[in-house]
Amino acid sequence: MSKPEFVYVIYIASTAEKVFKALTDEKMSEQYWVGNRVVSDWKIGAPFALKLKREEKDVTGKVLEFDPPRRLAYSFHAAHAGMEAEPPSRVTFELEPQKDQVKLTIIHDKFEPGSKAFESVSRGWPLVLSSLKSYLETGKVLHAPWYETGNAQQGTA
Amino acid sequence: MRKPEFVYVTYIETTPEKLWEALTNSEFSKRYWFNTELKTDWKIGSAFALVMDGTTTDVGEVLEFDRPRRLSYTFHHVLSEAARKERPTKVVFNLEPHGKLVKLTLTHEDFESGSVILDGISKGWPAILSGLKSLLETGTALAIPPAALAIEGFQ
Repeated sequence: MSKPEFVYVIYIASTAEKVFKALTDEKMSEQYWVGNRVVSDWKIGAPFALKLKREEKDVTGKVLEFDPPRRLAYSFHAAHAGMEAEPPSRVTFELEPQKDQVKLTIIHDKFEPGSKAFESVSRGWPLVLSSLKSYLETGKVLHAPWYETGNAQQGTA
Repeated sequence: MRKPEFVYVTYIETTPEKLWEALTNSEFSKRYWFNTELKTDWKIGSAFALVMDGTTTDVGEVLEFDRPRRLSYTFHHVLSEAARKERPTKVVFNLEPHGKLVKLTLTHEDFESGSVILDGISKGWPAILSGLKSLLETGTALAIPPAALAIEGFQ
């Protein structure tokens, strides 16, 4: 049986530098990532955290790759909603300039078969990346009240 | 084993009615879909064709037209001999309003195992739907160079 992985591609009218900064900057991430914040000093091997607005336990990991503005990777271990027992997964971002846009590819892999984290992030990434695109193209983020109030099933199931 | 299919979800700050118009009206589609026109009268069972720069690339028939919630059509790529030999696939758009947003889910399914078009459509849809979102939110969809998609035969 093949291991589950989530792959998503989105094109953003921006520069690779701006997309890379948005992916790694705590204040910018808080804007488009439904109030969650990425925190790290981005040295290889250093701790990474996604500070979740609605959960007590953060997502934690380590910086695996930091090659601005082309490639970013970190390990990803969610500890909320019964996912703590699962091994860490891996998030990789690839940025490719295409004329006046950036092709952003996210690969979230290294899940165990039947992973709850896989189900969760597969619902979450399209919203976060749609909001990132809107943020960089229009200066406005997407407001997802169902997500921000914790009723995640309504909009993302 | 899971059947091969392509699913893509995007959230767009617009209304279901505007998004429906963009999905069904050539004046919009030409602006975000590599200059592609949608040739159909949208009656259930009617013929459907995608025409890019005057060349018919895909044909099918309208399966569902439930404005502004659900749209589907069969999809048969006709530009290559290998693709013409495959059975038609199916494209479904689901539109769900959530506050100021619309959640758009595209499902492209019913591929033969080893389909020669699955790779190309998996590369094409993210570009098309990214342009659609930009057009509805900013009024402009930037052209993505076809070569950037690395789809065989699409330059």
